[in-house]
Amino acid sequence: MRTWDLIKVANRNLFRNKLRTFLTVMAIFVGSFTLTMTNGLGDGMRDYVESQVKNIEGDRVIMVRKKVERPVGGPRAGTPAEYKGDVGPEGGSDFDPNSILMTLPQMEAAVKEIDGVKSITPRYNIEGEYISIDGGKKYQLELGMLSEGITAKTEAGGPLSGDGQIVIPIGLARAMNSNISELIGKPAAIGYKLADGTMKTISLEIVGVATKGFMTNYSSFVSGGTARQIHEDQRPNGRTDSFIAFTLQLNSNDPAIISNAKSKLSAAGYEGDTIADNDKRTYDAIGIFKTGMNLFAFVALLAASFGIINTLVIAVLERTKEIGLQKALGMGRGKIFAIFSLESVLIGFWGALAGSLGGISAGVIANRVLLSVYASSFEGFNLFAFKPLSIAFVMLLVCGIAFAAGVMPAIRASRLNPIESLRYE
Amino acid sequence: MLEAKNLSKTYSSDGLDYVALKQVDLMVNRGDCIAIVGKSGSGKSTLMHLLACLDTPSSGEVIVEGSDTSKLSERSKNGLRNEKFGFVFQQFFLNGRDTVFENVVLPMRIRGVSGPQLAAEAGEAIAAVGLTDKAMKKAKDLSGGEKQRVCIARALVGKPQVIFADEPTGNLDSATGASVEDMLFKLNRENGITLVIVTHDEDLAGKCGRVVEMKDGYIVSEKVKEAAAV
Repeated sequence: MRTWDLIKVANRNLFRNKLRTFLTVMAIFVGSFTLTMTNGLGDGMRDYVESQVKNIEGDRVIMVRKKVERPVGGPRAGTPAEYKGDVGPEGGSDFDPNSILMTLPQMEAAVKEIDGVKSITPRYNIEGEYISIDGGKKYQLELGMLSEGITAKTEAGGPLSGDGQIVIPIGLARAMNSNISELIGKPAAIGYKLADGTMKTISLEIVGVATKGFMTNYSSFVSGGTARQIHEDQRPNGRTDSFIAFTLQLNSNDPAIISNAKSKLSAAGYEGDTIADNDKRTYDAIGIFKTGMNLFAFVALLAASFGIINTLVIAVLERTKEIGLQKALGMGRGKIFAIFSLESVLIGFWGALAGSLGGISAGVIANRVLLSVYASSFEGFNLFAFKPLSIAFVMLLVCGIAFAAGVMPAIRASRLNPIESLRYE
Repeated sequence: MLEAKNLSKTYSSDGLDYVALKQVDLMVNRGDCIAIVGKSGSGKSTLMHLLACLDTPSSGEVIVEGSDTSKLSERSKNGLRNEKFGFVFQQFFLNGRDTVFENVVLPMRIRGVSGPQLAAEAGEAIAAVGLTDKAMKKAKDLSGGEKQRVCIARALVGKPQVIFADEPTGNLDSATGASVEDMLFKLNRENGITLVIVTHDEDLAGKCGRVVEMKDGYIVSEKVKEAAAV
């Protein structure tokens, strides 16, 4: 028998008992629908997070922290860190095992064995008070720093290119001027408090308006050099400069150089992550969440696959004589197996098709409803995202499960003895 | 054409052996019209199943056109049944929801024939049993005699050399049974198709050229009618 004939026969057999086929397909539909939705949910979250984190870029920087035993009360509560003994005056040593903070000389010691270091920038903690332009309205200022090598995507203007500049968030920019590109190149008055509480005002040039994202929705950013100046103004006199993290910029984004730098940092008692590492961690978390959700859909599909087995076992009994005749007339075992397997796969296919279409429709409707409710807080967020590859994966998976469910009945059918089958009452 | 050599068949169930066929020898020549008669349990159906390669003997040989079928693979035996044999059964085994045409073409579809050749051969076979005007009717809407004619067309469609008929008139009244018989004998006479008919209908057996009588798994007698083929 030709393959196309086999498919036609299988499909016709399914339509012989419409109600039974429909009910079995419905069970598969429920499973496929759930799987489409859970997959869509995971993809939707990933898309949203991706659109948010992608606004901060930097392919040759490593954010470095000190590896420390977690403090009491942390994730490893109950194992307090032992005091390592006094290692000299604070900041005097290349590595202080008793603190997670680092001084600038300690940072330099940490990277001195690493090849291709371009710069290091400590994470300066700075606090702004207000921003205004042309002597106009003062707005509250959330101030942050972009280390050398890290840039924020901009809607207007461009990234920071040196000290004395500032990139502002789009919300703030629109408040100051509805035509945000007119702000580019303008001096902004920035107010911040000194260590003694008095206000200091400096002028920074607005070079860019940042694209929306997790980190860029509210914060304005200045360069490392500008941040250091503000930090020093805000630091109480007499206190040693020490920082919780620093950014290491390398000369190249060559993966070998990056991984070499990371392993040297690790050997020196530090841990370093690139922006890609951080993003990957987030994506992995979403991936785990998605897999967990998909497991529920698998359970539904598993239940449905027993429906397929049941349907086919009954079909084999009903069609025993027919199978006997086909075998007597020379149809081989393989073809009998193929017909029943195809019936099974077709049940899966129709169920998966209906489930995918149903899932997509439900997701699109859900997105619309949620958009109208949460639009203000999650701009650009679609709870469900449907990707052709994911849908194709669901379809293939369901057909695969259906095929597996059909194997046992199909083997039974293929092994029937023609004489006994023709005698079967 | 077909030859049984020292053929035995033993069925086993629950540890008990039942010998259905005991050392049977039979020669079926090309163009023969042979009836295998006997009471139920005499082994006549078993003999037919073995000759038709539907079953495998416990011992002995079935030789089809000079070759020992025990040496053939499952696939070759399937091909043999499909291409050289046709089958007519007492219970018809038609698919009632399908058309006459679809029922008739089943062996051709199994063989992998399609398109114009399929339509042509099916048309010929359906015409041979006089059902051309009912070719597109559902098989379930036919009378018993018509159904058996569909079965004959199905047996005929692949241009077989042998037609095995197991109680072909068993489910029919005598008038329709007679017309089905005539049709089979005509195929034997005019197309030279070898007929192997299993029956306990003595009238039907009497119209065959050779009558092999079976009892308790043995062939007990064989009668040859002189002018059968005329």
